[in-house]
Order: sequence, then C-alpha cells, then structure tokens
Amino acid sequence: FLGAGGGNDIQWCFSQVKGAVDDDVAEADIISTVEFNHSGELLATGDKGGRVVIFQQEQENKTQSHSRGEYNVYSTFQSHEPEFDYLKSLEIEEKINKIRWLPQKNAAQFLLSTNDKTIKLWKISERDKRPEGYNLKEEDGRYRDPTTVTTLRVPVFRPMDLMVEASPRRIFANAHTYHINSISINSDYETYLSADDLRINLWHLEITDRSFNIVDIKPANMEELTEVITAAEFHPNSCSTFVYSSSKGTIRLCDMRASALCDRHSKLFEEPEDPSNRSFFSEIISSISDVKFSHSGRYMMTRDYLSVKIWDLNMENRPVETYQVHEYLRSKLCSLYENDCIFDKFECCWNGSDRQVESLSLCTSDLSNIVMTGSYNNFFRMFDRNTKRDITLEASRENNKPRTVLKPRKVCASGKRKKDEISVDSLDFNKKILHTAWHPKENIIAVATTNNLYIFQDKMN
Amino acid sequence: MLGKGGKRKFDEHEDGLEGKVVSPTDGPSKVSYTLQRQTIFNISLMKLYNHRPLTEPSLQKTVLINNMLRRIQEELKQEGSLRPMFVAASQPADPLSDNFREAQPAFSHLASPPLLPADFVSTMPLESCLTPASLLEDDTFCTSPAVQHDGPTKPPPPALQPVKDSFSSALDEIEELCPAPTSAEGVAAESAADDSKAQPSESNIHKPEGLPESRTAESKLMDPLPGNFEITASTGFLTDLTLDDILFADIDTSMYDFDPCTSATGAASKMAPVSADELLKTLAPYSSQPVTPNQPFKMDLTELDHIMEVLVGS
Repeated sequence: FLGAGGGNDIQWCFSQVKGAVDDDVAEADIISTVEFNHSGELLATGDKGGRVVIFQQEQENKTQSHSRGEYNVYSTFQSHEPEFDYLKSLEIEEKINKIRWLPQKNAAQFLLSTNDKTIKLWKISERDKRPEGYNLKEEDGRYRDPTTVTTLRVPVFRPMDLMVEASPRRIFANAHTYHINSISINSDYETYLSADDLRINLWHLEITDRSFNIVDIKPANMEELTEVITAAEFHPNSCSTFVYSSSKGTIRLCDMRASALCDRHSKLFEEPEDPSNRSFFSEIISSISDVKFSHSGRYMMTRDYLSVKIWDLNMENRPVETYQVHEYLRSKLCSLYENDCIFDKFECCWNGSDRQVESLSLCTSDLSNIVMTGSYNNFFRMFDRNTKRDITLEASRENNKPRTVLKPRKVCASGKRKKDEISVDSLDFNKKILHTAWHPKENIIAVATTNNLYIFQDKMN
Repeated sequence: MLGKGGKRKFDEHEDGLEGKVVSPTDGPSKVSYTLQRQTIFNISLMKLYNHRPLTEPSLQKTVLINNMLRRIQEELKQEGSLRPMFVAASQPADPLSDNFREAQPAFSHLASPPLLPADFVSTMPLESCLTPASLLEDDTFCTSPAVQHDGPTKPPPPALQPVKDSFSSALDEIEELCPAPTSAEGVAAESAADDSKAQPSESNIHKPEGLPESRTAESKLMDPLPGNFEITASTGFLTDLTLDDILFADIDTSMYDFDPCTSATGAASKMAPVSADELLKTLAPYSSQPVTPNQPFKMDLTELDHIMEVLVGS
C-alpha cells in the first residue's frame, strides 16, 4: 500500500479533476456531498449553492484497456433553493447535505437529495428521441391552421441529441424542525429515514404528506440537552435495523420491530474514554461525524475528529479496530477549537466490493477491508484492515498527469522534518477533504476538495 | 468558514510541552491549566454569542460548546472559590494587562498559602499568563485534572462570572461585537449577551434577590436572539446575565461594608479584619466566601478589582 508492497497493493493514479481552477472559491461552488450510484456509472455531487451535478462514466473503450472510462458531466440541476423561515427570521440554506441514489429499476435514475429541511426525490431521465410529424403543429411548435391540413400522417419518433432531464418527483417537506444531517434508503427500497439533530423520521418513497417519527431525543426541557444525533443509516440487509450516532461518541442500534418509537436502543456502542488522553476537548473530538455499515452489515465504521473506528455489531463495549487519521492534531486542539476546525465533519467510506480488493483479504471474509477518509491540507487517508498499512495521499492539481502514481505524503509531527515531509504547522486547514466516495465495484475513488472533484483510479497493468 | 484556520508557525521551545500531562497541583502548570480553562471558557462564550445572524447556528456545535462551558463551570464550582479566575479577554491584552498589574499588588498582600495564584503570578512573566487565545501558538496543556467531576444532568446555578473588563473597554467590546442587528430586539439581545460578558460584576454585586429577577428575565435575553432555537435557553445556566441586571441595576456597594472575618469559613480565613479600603486591596472575601443557598454569585478576585476601578474611575 505504501508502494513497497507486493502486487496486491493498490497504486492510485490521478485520473481527472472537475471544477474551477482558480484559488478564489465561490461559496456556492463548495462541494458538500459526493455519491456514486449503485452501478458506479454515475457520480453525483451536491454543492452549497443547492445544485446537483451528475457525471457519467464513458463506456469502456475496449481498445484502450489501460484506462477506465472518464467521467463527464451528464446532468446539472438546481435541487434546492434558499428559503426564508419567516417565523424565525432565518434563512434556510440551500446547501445539499446528502445525496442517496436509489437502485435502478427502469430506464430512469432516481436520487434523494436533501438540504437542512427538505428532501426531494429526483428523476433523471434521458431523452434521445422525439416525435416528429404532427398534423396540427409545425416542427417549431407553432400551430397550423386546421384549414390548411389536407392529409393526415402518423407522427414518428426520430433520434435527437441526447437530453438529460431532471424533474422533482416527490418533495418531502415540513417534517424536520432541526437540521437534517442524514438520509438512508432502506434495503426494502420502499422506505427511507431522515435524521436531524434530535429526531429520525421514516418515510415511504411514495408518500410525501406523512412521515413517522422513530427516534426522538429531544428532552422536555431544552436546557437539559447535551447530546444530538449526528448521523444515521439503515442496515444494508436487515430492513428493520438502523443505527444512529451522537455527539457524545455513542452509536445506538435500533430495531423498528421492537416498538413504534425506537427510543430504547437494542444496542449501545461506546468506547470508554482513555484517561491518558483526556482533555477539555475529549467530548468534542469524540463526536461522531459519519457512520457507515460494511457491505455485509457485520461491521460498521465511525469517524470522529481524529480517528476511524471499526465496530463489530456483536461487540458493544469497544471497537475492534481504531485507525488514527491525524493524531498529530491532538496537541493543537485548542487552536482548532478556536478556529472552528474541530467541528469539521469528516466522512468516511469503505472500498467497493470488488474482486480485486477481495483478493487482499487474508483474515476476514468481509469484502470491506479498506477504509478511506479525508484530512486537512487536501490530504486523504486509506487504511487497509488486513495488512494494517495505511497511506496518505494528496488531491492536488500538481499531480495532474493521468496514470502517474500518486506519491505518498507524510506529516511530520515534531522534531526534525525529513525531506518531503510536511510539518504540522504548514498544514493548510482551509483545504479540507470532508467528502470521499469509492466506486461500488471498481477501484475508482472520488475525492472532493473545497470546490474541486478529483477522480483517482488504480494503476491498471 | 473559509478564512479561518490559516497556517500557524511552530514554536520550537514549546516542543517539550506537547502532550504533557498537567496535574492541577503542579506549580506553574496549574496556572497554565487555569489559564487554558479560562481561555477556552472565553472562546466558548464568544462562539455562542457571535454566530452569523442569517442562518440558524448548528445545534450540534451549540450543544458541544454549552457542554464545554458547563463542564468548566462545574469544575470551578467544585474547586470552590479558592482561586480567582484569571481574566483572559478574547481581545489582545491592553485593558487586561492593566487590570492584571493592578491586581498584582493585591495578590502580594495575601498571606495565606491557599491563595495560590499570588505565588504563581509573581513568578510568571505577565505575558505568558495572559496571552489571548488568538495568540496562543500551541496547546501546551491539554489535560484536565485527574478528578473530573461529571457534569450534572441539570445545569447548576451559575457559580462564577466570566470575562471582566473595565466599563469603557466593555462598551467598546459591545460595539465591536454587535453586528448590524436584524431587529431592534436583536440589538437588545446581543447587547445583553455582550454586556453580560463584560459586565458580570454588575449582576454579581446584585443581591441574591436578583436571582429570581434574572430567571424571569432569562427569557428576555434568550428569545430575541437571532437564530434562537430552544437550545439557546440552555445557555440559561448563565441565567443571571440579563440586560436588565446589567444595564439598569444599581451597583451594590454593600460588599464594601462587608467584614470578611465574620463569614464562616474556618481555616481559609486567615485574613486580618479589614476596613473597606483594605478589603479592596486584599480581596479577602475571596478566601472566605460563604456558599449559601440564596447567594449563587461568588465574588471573584478580579471582579472586586474591577468594581474598584469603576468607582475610582481609572
């Protein structure tokens, strides 16, 4: 993995970068979510301006066996607009917090996108034919004078330039008082959950005027509030099971069959605090920013400020593995608290369930064996659960040449800085990678910097 | 939040202090710990009251900051009033260092050992004690004391007042901190918040009966805050800091007639009986602070100092 390993290690190469080149970042262009669809053919991004941009992978060119298809813009649409809450005199941001794809059932693609308050179901469909030869209309749409019609003909479909249309099919609104942080589609593909700071609601994809509250942690007296929900996800296989994480570093697993309101968890995952690492910021850095089930559903991964933890669903009292993302930041927590970086919400993701990756698995039969997450200075990290090796890579336009293997980076925590190492104090905390995604089937990853989307692929021999 | 979190320079000499476990009983480290705690407390307050008025602040962030403040308050409450709160203003040093220098002679009058800060203060250079948070280069201290009191489920009555400033600099702060309000109420609320940071001495001197008043006034403070959700009511543990109390309350001078020796404390009360003048210099009530149920406010060492300055017109 660090380049020194055998043929099984993945070597990541730059493939593409999308987005503006200049350093002056328009706030609306800040990428806020990245998600591959179930086949990996489509890659969606959401931004702070409420737009969704979908990229489509080119069909593989059989003659060009050394590279996979490139991703090109497929559709762009405005998903959410800014709104104004007149009651509170506040703006509701149009920023897209999450996108989740539905599995494809017909020619059209469907995705859920959400901002702080409203979830929308979008249908993305292609149109490559159009009817021509109307009797009452000219080709340009003008109506013909019926008296001039002397013969009748049957309109026929003729090919046209591909047009991709996005239309909102459902709008799920007015169910969240607080800010939505997660949406997750159930394995039944009929229902989904949406979670805000204090509540989780269950929806049916077809029904917009009703949702069921399944978790409510709002205390009777808001003054007693000390913990909020930070993320939630359905189990990949069990349609009655879901988990939600909290700002205190706990994960609760709930079973919807137990009761209508899942206020009492079935399992509570929490690691006892390490007394030697205790500080003023212990609670804040334990706040979980993302939770993701593994492909099998046997494990789940959580991301807190400094680490990624893998949990076995059968063991509640501690994670089975912990990976330090940027431990060198532990001594900087006060500064990071002051500049708000300590509240950054990093996401994490598993590798795709790919046969090549599977070949690496030695001790676990779970297909999920690599985790990826972002850091600062446009660095992102990967941890191989089997080899226990990890790597730090950088998303930067300097590595622009396709098929050039990315050079591993290293941060020097203290002491003498070696050549090519970067000292902690040179890190740019404005350049943060919060969102990453891994192609569900191949070794292709999408990494979002502030306003650019990088696509890396493994080096194909 | 672009624009924050720029590159930071690395202080070579701070190398050795990284990650060091700081026990509260260490000498200078205790001051460092107290200083950091105060710094964090101030930063937390700033964060709570300084959010963008346009959109709702993140509830998660608010809750985490609240928890931080509560924890510190609990800790301070647990420690009692044995040590004064260092005032580390979020703004750079001037009024602060002045206050501190003036407090120093007071410290030196203190004979009693339990009043630790006097010892530390005299040995530490002023600058290193009072570096504002924004100038702190590195976190040289990052652990809390070995025994950490778990936060209560209910917020305790406010034990200590935070930032102190002299009157004029406080007013300046208010002006700086108050962004253009979205409503008149917003102005009032923000002024209240800023005032509350700056003028806790006012409310502190307020008699205990100020408490019920402040409780009812709490909603006055909380409601008009832009971006208020119910959570801001949770900052009610700072409940005594209200617009009314601060701006309209008379300064209660009864403390200056207070004879510290008559308060019941026992061993800590090593101060000689004092007249009103000496009282101000020796800050004696500090060591003999009685904790009675109807007196939620605890006099702060530097707080008296500030009161004096205000009265003397420094």
